[in-house]
Amino acid sequence: MSAHSHAADDPHAALEALKETSTGIENKKLAMWAFLASDCMFFGTLISTHLIYRKIYPDIVDPKAIFDIELTGFSSFILLMSSFLMALSVSAAHKGNIKGVRWFLGGTIFFGLIFLCGQVYEFHHFVTDFGLTLSSNVFGSTFYVLTGTHGVHVALGIIWLGSWLVYTFTDRYKAEHALDIEVAGLYWHFVDIVWIVIFTVVYLVEYVPFLT
Amino acid sequence: MATTADVENVTHAPAEPARTGLWKRPLKNTGLVGWLTTVDHKKIGILYAVGALFFLLLGGVEALIIRAQLMFPEQEVISARTYNQLFTMHGTTMIFLAVMPLSAAFFNYIMPLQIGARDVAFPRMNSLGLWCFIFGGIILNLSWFFPGGAPDVGWFAYAPLTDRQYSPDIGVDFWIMGLQILGIASLVGSFNFITTIINMRAPGLSMMRLPLFTWMTLITSFLVILAFPAITIALIQLMFDRHFGTFFFNVEGGGKPILWQHLFWIFGHPEVYILILPAMGIISEILPVFSRKPLFGYPLIVFSGAVIGFLGFAVWSHHMFTTGLGVIATTAFAFLTMLIAIPTGVKIFNWIGTMWGGRIRFTTPMLFSVGFIWMFMMGGFTGIMHSSPPVDAQQQDTYFVVAHFHYVLIGGSLFALFAGIYFWFPKVTGKMMSEFVGKIVFYVMFIGFNLAFFPMHILGMTGMPRRTHTYKSGMGWEQSNFWSTIGAMILGLGVALFVIQIIYTCFRGRRTNGDPWDARTLEWVTDSPPKEYNFAYTPVVHARDQLWENKHGPDSRKMERIAPGPHGIHMPDQSWWPLILAIGLFIACLGMVFHGEPAWWGEEARYGLGITICGLLITLGSIYGWALEGPGGFHLHPDPKEYDGALPAPESSHGHH
Amino acid sequence: MQRFSALSTRLAALLCSLAGLLILAGCSLNIEGKQSALDPKGPVAQNQYDIFIITLIVTVFLFITVGGALGWTMWKFRLRKGDDPRYIPPQTHGHPLIEIGLVAGSAALLVVIAIPTFGGILLKKNVPLHLVEDAIEVNVVGYQWWWAFEYPEHGFYTANEFVIPAGRAVKLNLRTRDVLHSFWVPKLAGKVDLIAGQTNFMWIKADEPGYFYGQCAEFCGDSHAYMLFRVIAKPEAEYRRWVRDQQRQTANLNPDTGPLYAPLLARDQWAYPEDKVLRGAEVFARACASCHSLNPASQTNGPNLAHFATRTTIAAGWMENEPDELFRWIREPDKVKPGNFMWTGFLRYNPETRTREVEMAGLDYYDLSDNEIEAVVAYLYTLR
Repeated sequence: MSAHSHAADDPHAALEALKETSTGIENKKLAMWAFLASDCMFFGTLISTHLIYRKIYPDIVDPKAIFDIELTGFSSFILLMSSFLMALSVSAAHKGNIKGVRWFLGGTIFFGLIFLCGQVYEFHHFVTDFGLTLSSNVFGSTFYVLTGTHGVHVALGIIWLGSWLVYTFTDRYKAEHALDIEVAGLYWHFVDIVWIVIFTVVYLVEYVPFLT
Repeated sequence: MATTADVENVTHAPAEPARTGLWKRPLKNTGLVGWLTTVDHKKIGILYAVGALFFLLLGGVEALIIRAQLMFPEQEVISARTYNQLFTMHGTTMIFLAVMPLSAAFFNYIMPLQIGARDVAFPRMNSLGLWCFIFGGIILNLSWFFPGGAPDVGWFAYAPLTDRQYSPDIGVDFWIMGLQILGIASLVGSFNFITTIINMRAPGLSMMRLPLFTWMTLITSFLVILAFPAITIALIQLMFDRHFGTFFFNVEGGGKPILWQHLFWIFGHPEVYILILPAMGIISEILPVFSRKPLFGYPLIVFSGAVIGFLGFAVWSHHMFTTGLGVIATTAFAFLTMLIAIPTGVKIFNWIGTMWGGRIRFTTPMLFSVGFIWMFMMGGFTGIMHSSPPVDAQQQDTYFVVAHFHYVLIGGSLFALFAGIYFWFPKVTGKMMSEFVGKIVFYVMFIGFNLAFFPMHILGMTGMPRRTHTYKSGMGWEQSNFWSTIGAMILGLGVALFVIQIIYTCFRGRRTNGDPWDARTLEWVTDSPPKEYNFAYTPVVHARDQLWENKHGPDSRKMERIAPGPHGIHMPDQSWWPLILAIGLFIACLGMVFHGEPAWWGEEARYGLGITICGLLITLGSIYGWALEGPGGFHLHPDPKEYDGALPAPESSHGHH
Repeated sequence: MQRFSALSTRLAALLCSLAGLLILAGCSLNIEGKQSALDPKGPVAQNQYDIFIITLIVTVFLFITVGGALGWTMWKFRLRKGDDPRYIPPQTHGHPLIEIGLVAGSAALLVVIAIPTFGGILLKKNVPLHLVEDAIEVNVVGYQWWWAFEYPEHGFYTANEFVIPAGRAVKLNLRTRDVLHSFWVPKLAGKVDLIAGQTNFMWIKADEPGYFYGQCAEFCGDSHAYMLFRVIAKPEAEYRRWVRDQQRQTANLNPDTGPLYAPLLARDQWAYPEDKVLRGAEVFARACASCHSLNPASQTNGPNLAHFATRTTIAAGWMENEPDELFRWIREPDKVKPGNFMWTGFLRYNPETRTREVEMAGLDYYDLSDNEIEAVVAYLYTLR
């Protein structure tokens, strides 16, 4: 007969066990990298769809007449800055600086929200002022589904980081959770990087004279 | 069925488990609750296998009805619509609900044992994959019970036939959402397997010592995570076309249906290798055991598997040679396709090399394995034929192609999976399947299979197109179709016999020792069936075929064992959340299926997004429940006799690497 | 280990059953079947057949060598009666030279296939120079579930079968009106798909006059199996006569010059009583004319019927063009070809109701009596 004891009795042991992997990389981090590889393909498919139709139908819409590049540029900058704050909060988490974690996470979320509001405003503006909807033409279909999918990613990221922010105020938050914040950070950085690609190929390219 | 857990050995402490979620975590690891909440990779593997075998029978019955309809010309056993539904569901079922989950069953059960791990990296995620597979299968097959019935657009669902104009019924919506949820199942499973194989190998088990099956699991998982996004996005685009009026594939709005074909085959071709690579892994385990020799050219087999996986992403357009691609694209895809013959050939050469000079025992698993090589070779040869676009122009969408991929997927994948079942059945249940009956099953299946599918080569070359629910008499196709149907029935008989044998053996099978085949790899080192914790000790690996070295090798290559630490073996707790999360996704997907359909409460009323949002809220809620309850866990203390003579655990170690 | 001793008998049984299979297969090997790709009658099909034979030779060679090695290994190294099952053979792990050799060998074999393949790809895409000069052009349009053929150089349409001059190349422009289809006449050329949103090209040539079977090879919905067609290759003179005939009007299309749709064929050539034929014309005008044009120069939603009586088949090649069959086809088109629009009428999806609504009525709506159908049959056979 063997005795049985709960891991909650000895969380340290459980965490130790999780840390000892064949490669030295934590399981969660490795799985997140695998997910991000997969997510690249998701966005790759969406971006190629948009570019293919853009090329087939160059004159269906004049994006320059619709886009508000200053606004989108500003919100892209904000999203990039949120990545910076995210890096700071991961660093704070690893140092056990819980106040820093709260402030920087809060900042990341705030910037993410600004970006999201920018996107909501942009969509609203396109629909009401230019009548560009999902079903007005192929450009509308590909543009909204692509940027919308990215928006969903940002929103999920905000919920995720927000949950961590709340969690830091509970007594359940431990120093070991720095790893989880780092994993969430990987996701957040990825979503930002994807936006740089989208911003370039969907928005900026329209302003390159010899391409249009 | 013998469960993998040794219940008597486990007593849960009287103390209350930590109340970390909304409710207490389930502790009982037997009975219905035990199976529904399990996080044990072995139980999950068994559930995958049971589900996959069920769907295999379902898809098989669909195939037999198809064959009955085609037995004679101009028959009307079933209507054209029913026929189209049957071949759509047959293809979708066999690929997504039979062969893939059966492979997943082996990934789950065998792979962690082969790498000396106690479980996969994320046990609850594993459970989520299982339940998504089950609910995906349910969603797909629910379509039969609704007006309009099952999807009738083919498993490839070429646009614009899937457009509402041509397919107004909800069958296609069921198909979209079923595949979507099955995609989630495959994706979470694959993230898990990748992490497990890379990170949770026993000490000393370097990548180039991994058993071949584990290698193929890894490569297949990479194929899944890189290929499935293409179909997921294509399905989302199709869903938007059907529900929200976008124009991705709608010609009237400027959409290009050809885009669907590209996206579908960017997924679809790697998918072919997702179906065959696990089979190749299984064969590479069985041949050495029954030849009593190590795998010939191990590094080259691993490398060729990786090359096949890599090239698999560069050949998708060979499914589209007749769609009017340009000369350069056609030529490039043709030559790349031909290149795939080389790594595939390498595997066959090396399997022959493995048997060469060995002492071959033709047991049932070995018969299926050798049958696999023969049949896969045949399928490979016809594959070489239509890698050439001019030849493909005559063969594409004919019964020649049907013959080709059934040689690869039944003679190939399914024979190998059956070989795996016969081989590992004693591992899973501790009981032997009868060799006598097993051989009868093999010969019946082998003869039935060849009789069913060889004539299809001739049918195709003499001009019979696929997916036609009937054919004119006097075209010269009568005899081949007749014999093909007879063969299909014999094949069905073989599979039925196989299922009866499995059920019989579960209850009445002869007990066996831990290593009945004189096997070579790590999974046979531990008990059959393995205890809940797989290994009572941590194995330290010193060679590729570790068990063989233990039995016949020099002392320097024998395995070492490290005893568990004073805390015992850490085990993960069971959980309800994966099941609830999957139910949430199920509801969300059903909501999307019915979105915009007339609702039951009023003539003008339409189902909106409400159901979907409810489902997504359940999903989100279970993610929180899941996160807040944590992995949990308890410690087991195996009987010290089980690790008698093992090295003591190092001070810093806690028994679980 | 007694149970393995019967292996040789089993292997023999296996070989016997395989041989039996091959004999069975041989019986049904009908390479001259009506739609057989193994009986090429034109340069494109011939080229594709030749490459097929090359691949066949290569793979049979591989089957004999690799399969021979496999069979020999299975036989030679099997556990025999009286062998010690615990014997441990030498644990060899592989040999780089053998493996590299085999890789190089298989690559070389692929080159044998690759070179003619490239030639075949080019041939299929372009009409050879010596044939381009006197090539004719036909536009092929696929519909659910029938074919329209347009002769743009002569300005007329026909449906479900078309005539080509033997010995001349025919350039085909392939389009579809709805879902995907695939144009396939195995004896003349391998298939090319009809893709919505693009025009595909292929060419065919029949070396000799002949009657060639074709069929849609891309799944296109309910009645995919019934989407057949014919290509009829005629000698040059007959072809020219056919073209001239097809351009002629067969029914009166101008209300000012007599009853609408009255047959223009001389009365002494009518096979049916006059009143029946004329009643048929009235029924046609009421129930058929909205979809079926009788003007050879125009194409509406259904097959052009201007020269119906000259066709060999009806219902897109599924039935022979005989009065009994035609009567059945008009009486119950939904039973002959499920989902057929001739019965339901043209349907257009309405996103509001989530159903398809009738845009142009079909025979289901007109509900013709048997008498009326007989009259239409009589009328249609005057359209020559």
